[in-house]
Amino acid sequence: MSSQPILDPSSKLDRFPIEVRDAFRRFRATGEPADLQMVVLAVLRDHMPKRSSVPLTEEMRLMEDLGYDSLAVAEIIFFFEDLFQVRIENRELPELRTVGEVGRFVARKLGQKPAAA
Amino acid sequence: MNAPAAAARRAVVTGLGFITPIGNERAAVVASLRAGQHGLAPVVFYGNPDLPVKVAGTVKGFRVESASWRDWEWPPGYEIPRETLRGLAPHGVYALCALAQALRDAALSPADIAGDETTGLFCASAGSAMLTFHHLAQTLAVRGERGNPMGVVSSIAGTLNFNLAAHFHITGGVCGFVSACASGSHALGYACDEIRLGRLQRVLVVSAEELNAETLVPFAIMRALSPAADPRLASRPFDCNRDGFVGAGGAVAIVLEESGAAARRGARVQAEIAGWGQAADGYSVATPHPEGAGLRLAMRRALADAGTTPADIDYVNAHATSTPVGDRAEALALRAVFADAGARPRVSSTKALTGHPLSLSGAMEAAFCVLALTEGFMPGNPHLITPDPACAGLELPRACVDAAPRAVLNNSSGFGGSNVCHVLRAPAP
Repeated sequence: MSSQPILDPSSKLDRFPIEVRDAFRRFRATGEPADLQMVVLAVLRDHMPKRSSVPLTEEMRLMEDLGYDSLAVAEIIFFFEDLFQVRIENRELPELRTVGEVGRFVARKLGQKPAAA
Repeated sequence: MNAPAAAARRAVVTGLGFITPIGNERAAVVASLRAGQHGLAPVVFYGNPDLPVKVAGTVKGFRVESASWRDWEWPPGYEIPRETLRGLAPHGVYALCALAQALRDAALSPADIAGDETTGLFCASAGSAMLTFHHLAQTLAVRGERGNPMGVVSSIAGTLNFNLAAHFHITGGVCGFVSACASGSHALGYACDEIRLGRLQRVLVVSAEELNAETLVPFAIMRALSPAADPRLASRPFDCNRDGFVGAGGAVAIVLEESGAAARRGARVQAEIAGWGQAADGYSVATPHPEGAGLRLAMRRALADAGTTPADIDYVNAHATSTPVGDRAEALALRAVFADAGARPRVSSTKALTGHPLSLSGAMEAAFCVLALTEGFMPGNPHLITPDPACAGLELPRACVDAAPRAVLNNSSGFGGSNVCHVLRAPAP
């Protein structure tokens, strides 16, 4: 078995492109909001049940536009919890409907100002 | 199983798919069975070369060792979308490929079965011990606060039925079978009944097993595995020096159809499941009845259900896994059913070549029997050197016999003394 309970959060991104892993490293070092948004978008794209190369835009809805189901939403919640070492409560889930809402939510959780779109 | 109403309907095989240690498609499997070429390879589990498990029937062309589906790879020619992949266990990947192959073999497209209320899906799986362990360890590490939302559907024993039903949009009926090493045979037997009872026109029978430390090492702890490192010595059913089974993984899919429905769509009929039978030992949780009492009764029931006599059977694909107790019990049961009736079918255990893939074995060996009928051969016992005296009176050819059997019997036995047998025969001309 190659994967174990998460010790180093960055290992969650092992299978992501190098530029995403670099952005995560830079974000952890500098708190740069644009780097955080790059990571969030990559995670959202990775969890889309059907593969697509369509660019993700702020107003896209996870379920209606990106094909997310409730399990895929739960997957990204747990992914973000592990990656950013934060806790997301069930009552916060209704805030996560669109790509933009997810980006702003994660930034707020981490005490960031949202990046410009 | 003998319902009079069932008499008019016959269950026939129209498609097969193979992901096995001896080949990942029909022609390769036939070549291995004919040549007596095994598919066993060295293995080391938990990084511990001292464990008494040295070889296994490995599945080639896949990388599914990781608990994360993101790391998995499978052979070209199979499309597995992310929405399916995220809910699969490693053996689910094998199963999906085997079923895709079987549908092609049956000249059916996914659109032909999607939403068809006459098509059902019967699966055999023990679940994924690896993923169960992994997911629960993750959840334990955070004291139950989170985990993988796909953890349940990817790991529990019904994982094949859940995932394949969703992926292929099966609406006729879906269920799973858990009787350890008889599971695949139960799935096929009940699929046969479902067709003979007129409830379904077509059943996709899918059986799969994982090959990893979590599945196999517990059998080493039971002292059920051969500790031998030479594959030819490790898996040698019916030999007097056999010392345990060799584990294996893979998947097999069988498309079973009502003969009239198959004829109407012009399907190529490969064999008929002429009958089946089951019986139990009522003896022990893990070891068979010493004289194979349950297996003996299951064989007689299968022969009766098929309307055949022992003399009609030309080949028996034995369950024999290469364990001292199991092979002896089966040999005695075979002698009682065949030798005592003056019949001498060829008997072989193809587990010499494949190893023993547990839940998969019954369906895999039924599919091998279909190949024997369609291609005109009877597999041999290439690793057999000195037959156990308990086999006296049984015909155990070492090499493949180049002749077409008229009818064949397939045996399976599982924990708890569960025994299941099928009779298959060549399609009526």
